[in-house]
Amino acid sequence: MPNEIKFKIDGREFTAAPGETILEVATRNGISIPTLCHNQKISRTTSCFVCVVKDKRTGKFLPSCSACPANGQEVESSSDEVRDMRRTALNLLLSEHAGDCEAPCTVACPAHAQVEEYVRAGRRGDFKKSLKIIKERIPLPLSISRVCPRFCEKECRRNVYGKPVAINDFKRLAADLYYDEYMEDIPVENGRRIAVVGAGPAGLSAAYFLRRLGYRVKMFEKMPKAGGMLRYGIPEYRLPKAILDREIAHFFKMGIELECNRQLGLNLSLDVLKSEYDAVAVTIGCWKAGSMRCAGEELALQGIKFLERIAANDWTGNNPGKTIVVGGGNTAMDCLRTSVRLGSDDVTCFYRRSEEQMPAEKLEIHEAKEEGVKFEFLVAPVKLVRNDAGKLVLTCQRMELGEPDASGRRKPVPVPGSEFDVEADTVIAAIGQATDAPPGLAVNRFGDLDVCEHTYRMSDNVFAAGDCVTGAATVVEGVAGGRIIALGIDGFLSGREYRPEPVVNVSRGHWQSLRKEDLVFLRQDVSEADRVPQRLIPIAERTSTFHEVAATFTPEEVQSEGKRCIECSCTAKGDCKLRQHSQEYGADPEAYKGARLQQGYDNRHPVIIHDRMKCIKCGTCVKICAEVVNKNLLSQKYRGFATKVEGLFGRTLPDSCAECGACVEECPVGALDWRFKA
Amino acid sequence: MAEIRKIKVGTASCGLAAGAGAVLDFFRDHAGVEIEEVGCIGHCYAEPLVEVVTDAGSVFYRDVKGEQACLDNILALGETGRLEVSPSRRKYEMLKVTRLAGRICPTSFDAYVAEGGYGALKKALTMTAAEVVDEVKRSGLRGRGGGGFPTGMKWQFLAAKQAEKKILICNADEGDPGAFMDRSMMESVPHQVLEGMLIGAYATGADILFIYCRAEYPLAIKHIRIAIDQIREHGLDVVNGKKLDIIIKEGAGAFVCGEETALIASLEGRRGTPRFRPPFPTDRGWNDYPTSLNNVETFANIPLVIGEGGAAFAQVGTEKSKGTKLFALAGDLKYPGLIEVPMGTTIGEIVFEVGGADPDQVKAVQTGGPSGGCIPKELFDTPVDYDSLNALGAIMGSGGMIVIGTDRCMVETARYFLDFTHRESCGKCTFCRVGMMRMYETLERIVAGKGEMSDIDFLADLGPKIKKGSLCGLGQTAPNPVLATLRYYKNEYIEHVRDKRCAALVCNALVDVKLDPEKCVKCRLCIRNCAVGAISDDFVIDNAKCTRCNTCIDVCPKHAVARVEKGEGYYAE
Amino acid sequence: MSDKFAYLSSVERSRTYLIKGLQTVQAHDGYISDAAIEAIAAYFSVPPVDVEGVVSFYAQFKRTRPGKYKVAVCDGTACHIKGSISILEWVGTELGIKPGQTDRDGLFSLETVACLGCCSLAPVMSINGKVYGKLDRKGTVKILKEYRKNG
Repeated sequence: MPNEIKFKIDGREFTAAPGETILEVATRNGISIPTLCHNQKISRTTSCFVCVVKDKRTGKFLPSCSACPANGQEVESSSDEVRDMRRTALNLLLSEHAGDCEAPCTVACPAHAQVEEYVRAGRRGDFKKSLKIIKERIPLPLSISRVCPRFCEKECRRNVYGKPVAINDFKRLAADLYYDEYMEDIPVENGRRIAVVGAGPAGLSAAYFLRRLGYRVKMFEKMPKAGGMLRYGIPEYRLPKAILDREIAHFFKMGIELECNRQLGLNLSLDVLKSEYDAVAVTIGCWKAGSMRCAGEELALQGIKFLERIAANDWTGNNPGKTIVVGGGNTAMDCLRTSVRLGSDDVTCFYRRSEEQMPAEKLEIHEAKEEGVKFEFLVAPVKLVRNDAGKLVLTCQRMELGEPDASGRRKPVPVPGSEFDVEADTVIAAIGQATDAPPGLAVNRFGDLDVCEHTYRMSDNVFAAGDCVTGAATVVEGVAGGRIIALGIDGFLSGREYRPEPVVNVSRGHWQSLRKEDLVFLRQDVSEADRVPQRLIPIAERTSTFHEVAATFTPEEVQSEGKRCIECSCTAKGDCKLRQHSQEYGADPEAYKGARLQQGYDNRHPVIIHDRMKCIKCGTCVKICAEVVNKNLLSQKYRGFATKVEGLFGRTLPDSCAECGACVEECPVGALDWRFKA
Repeated sequence: MAEIRKIKVGTASCGLAAGAGAVLDFFRDHAGVEIEEVGCIGHCYAEPLVEVVTDAGSVFYRDVKGEQACLDNILALGETGRLEVSPSRRKYEMLKVTRLAGRICPTSFDAYVAEGGYGALKKALTMTAAEVVDEVKRSGLRGRGGGGFPTGMKWQFLAAKQAEKKILICNADEGDPGAFMDRSMMESVPHQVLEGMLIGAYATGADILFIYCRAEYPLAIKHIRIAIDQIREHGLDVVNGKKLDIIIKEGAGAFVCGEETALIASLEGRRGTPRFRPPFPTDRGWNDYPTSLNNVETFANIPLVIGEGGAAFAQVGTEKSKGTKLFALAGDLKYPGLIEVPMGTTIGEIVFEVGGADPDQVKAVQTGGPSGGCIPKELFDTPVDYDSLNALGAIMGSGGMIVIGTDRCMVETARYFLDFTHRESCGKCTFCRVGMMRMYETLERIVAGKGEMSDIDFLADLGPKIKKGSLCGLGQTAPNPVLATLRYYKNEYIEHVRDKRCAALVCNALVDVKLDPEKCVKCRLCIRNCAVGAISDDFVIDNAKCTRCNTCIDVCPKHAVARVEKGEGYYAE
Repeated sequence: MSDKFAYLSSVERSRTYLIKGLQTVQAHDGYISDAAIEAIAAYFSVPPVDVEGVVSFYAQFKRTRPGKYKVAVCDGTACHIKGSISILEWVGTELGIKPGQTDRDGLFSLETVACLGCCSLAPVMSINGKVYGKLDRKGTVKILKEYRKNG
């Protein structure tokens, strides 16, 4: 060909036909160059500058979508400098792009369950689908839906005006209805075997995901039954053990094996496991109780041991009499409320900081109070003795709040001369839990097992996750760790080290910084109703039995909660080119902070949402409508940073656009999109 | 005593704004001699300017008021109020392009012809088109709009095109605040600009001539319009045997339309956004016809090039920048106005010798308009030509030159320029649209005393990327004011950020206002004029209430009120 | 096209003259209304939304009815250096409006402009196109009061 142009991209020679752009040649030869404003259906726009390449001779950056190569030209497309320019362009676009890629509830969920999606399925009454979505990340929905502190709800955008959607109750209803009947597609075993040591939340989760990845899994549990803290730490009234049994039964249906009464270092050898199994997952939890650090503390019961004992006795036991529980966490609440149920009519919590600083869930504190538990704040134990009458005497000291400590909370300091004594029959120390690391496993400075932060690998073929790695945490965090360990082991055994996919999540900001006007409502009929109140069993039943306190929502209740969901996530989160390129180039929505233009959104069209604050001003929609559809319904208005795309006089697109949607299909982000989610 | 033949009153925009209209009316009614309206001779600081033409030569009077005493003085050729042009200015000025500006009536065809006007066109028509192009190439004339592209080359490209129609555009969208060379030329010698265009049409074979002029220049538009009517009357609009379409188009307020592809989009009735080149306008321009754009001053040079010949033209200037250049001098100097000097004159010569600026009071000069760069006094021996200025991180631009005094804050100056450019971004390219906003926001934070040291690095990192990642001249130059001030005055940025101090006492957030009781005469003018009631009855300014609006400073007859460093003022609470 | 915009027929009917058409309407009505956009779109056979895009791009075009006296304070470089911010402040205080606004009686509207090209007279402002230079506070207020007196 006489007119052929020979040039180089990243040192490789290519041939271009006259009129062909650098981008076209690159694409034709399998070189990937990111683009946003480029679209083959319309005339060239050349505005996003994400597709730049560098001309080596002139040092200039060229938009490859529009620049045609010249004979002998050499361009760079993958040098650090080019990547930096592309990343900068993406950072700039991200800084004016306002939206929530992912719903805040989903982001907040430690297990990254697709929260908005299962809520939507629930709203539509499809609880089976809801459960399926939940189980992609949460293998213990029956339990978690009862005990989770609801990270998701704390970030729910409905907090901006009122109470959050009762998200966890979607899990509970879906699991209550369909857990027993739902069965995942389980692949045939791939011939590799994994030992999981510890059948608590993290171990169960690891086993579940490993089995779904094709591994043959055997769990070893030191206690007589599986479940870990779910069984021996969380009281019956929060999680009935019959329900836990139902939950665990499913694991056996999946072909996961379990051997109980096997404890690492006691009657189970790590070395043997390491050699007999392809990999070992250590998920042994935190079973060592924290110290009250005062004289005579051995006279106190340890919170988790106390609960474990009652649990082992099927939630029966002697009336502990006048009871003092020292500590302010969820375990303390469990001990307090368990003591009430065992018949004590004088149960008090002693906590050395203020009520606001209490780490226990607000709901737990509230329900404990309802059940008659008393609270003493800013009180610390000094000494514990047994007096001649056989009663325990706890000497305490009043505290006041001083300067903030390392955690940012104001540190309690003793008030001199404020000591006082208090008599009790039972004193329970619920101060915290620590990992009881078996010999031979490396620990970090916190005494927890030391793992690689990405793969959760310790050494050789040993991995660890859950409380024994993180310190005492929630069930859902344990479950999240179980999944990572499964992926880590899978990566290890298949020879490609697991790395989490880089995720870019643009956010409109924390709900506390937002007003209702800042929220984007895909549906016009988002319910304004108040949150459905939680139904509880009568207080007399609560204080005298271990019956489950909270009732499962009815399908009608769940659906009405679903109507309150704003569906915050972006309609285009799966196919947004800005997000994809940002992830590829390591762009960061926080890199360039600055004003975002308040341009509003339009949800008045029957099927199309126009969320202008997501618009990257490429004008593709304008050109598609003008050049391809010949309708000319959109234009770019104003200029500079204020540039805005909208219809004539800001009007909504006509209803007839529902039949075309060409602009929607070509929008590289989620600014113009179908209003309803699948 | 010499006999008065005629009195000329400068009634270009600068003159009119200074009150020349009243002077003109008064003289018409009372002087009893021929009164002629002329354009601008460049000494704008002295407006209203009156030239008294006598049989013994001309006498110029400055700051003329339309009242009897003034008239009497002028008619008596009195010594008071005469315009004295300093010998140093005479030494460095070279009036070639502006030879006729302010000397002849802009709306008179005959006056222009009497001074040899349209002689160059006549001469060009005796040459072949190719010879005209060659002559322009020989002259070394480069585009005066800022780019500095050789004019002859551009014309050659257009001349070589075979097309149904060819377009020649005069870019008169002088958008740089602080630049008024083009306005002055169009107001004062519209025929000279048109003659250049007609020669261009002959040389390139153009059929349609556009003059794209800012709407803010009504007088320039009026004079060009009159001149077009006149050349039509005289049949000069027939070139190459065809009647040219000569069309004036008024811009509508968009700085970016000074950029050639944006200007073309605007001429097509679209949003003024630039596009990627190639194709260049000479291949595909206005409505896809081959198009060449040249600036007003460039066209005004063409009659000289043809008249005296390219070789003679090239005698003036430097090796790569030929001829003279017009500069609009403004800012902190004694003689703001329009000047013409040979290319290669140094900045110092322009600012100090011609402009009369006090060397002790000057900090820097900003060339190239809001997207140019500042040049510190230490570098004032730099010759003014395209390449020397580029090397300093500044640009020639169209020729605006703002003198920045020692009492100005460079950070605030940079912020001001970005305030302009970020708003004038068309919004197309990501880097310019968002990047300029982010730079501007950062500067706003810094002048508000809320900057962090990382902000300075941020500006230094993002600025060059914006330049590299923008399609047109706006984005490619807009970060210049920041980058240039960062280069020469980084200490001021650091002071603002680290010490929360504005040494120039310019940045409102970093200063207090204080009244000196020693100087105060208790006239209460400050109290009466304070909009927020920040001054107490015993003459103490409460800086908590004060908005730093400067009113009290401005009204105080004794200069008793002044800006002081933050913390030196009084705060009530 | 409605009779209201019949005067548009003085403008050549080609897209090249679209901006001219808009300028003609603004010169006539003082601003460009929605109806004007539709009329111009019809006249030039350009989609109305496209016309709106063009109108909003250029700073010259006003979409709201301006005051009888259009005060434009120059904030060009020379004027800025010479204190145009104070001028703007004084004018704003005197008229009780901010840039971009029209006062309640519809007498004054205020805007800033990039450069009036009278840099040597800085600071300057213009009222209905008439330029006032070398402004100080007293002079500025006096000029405005004069206009107000004339009503």
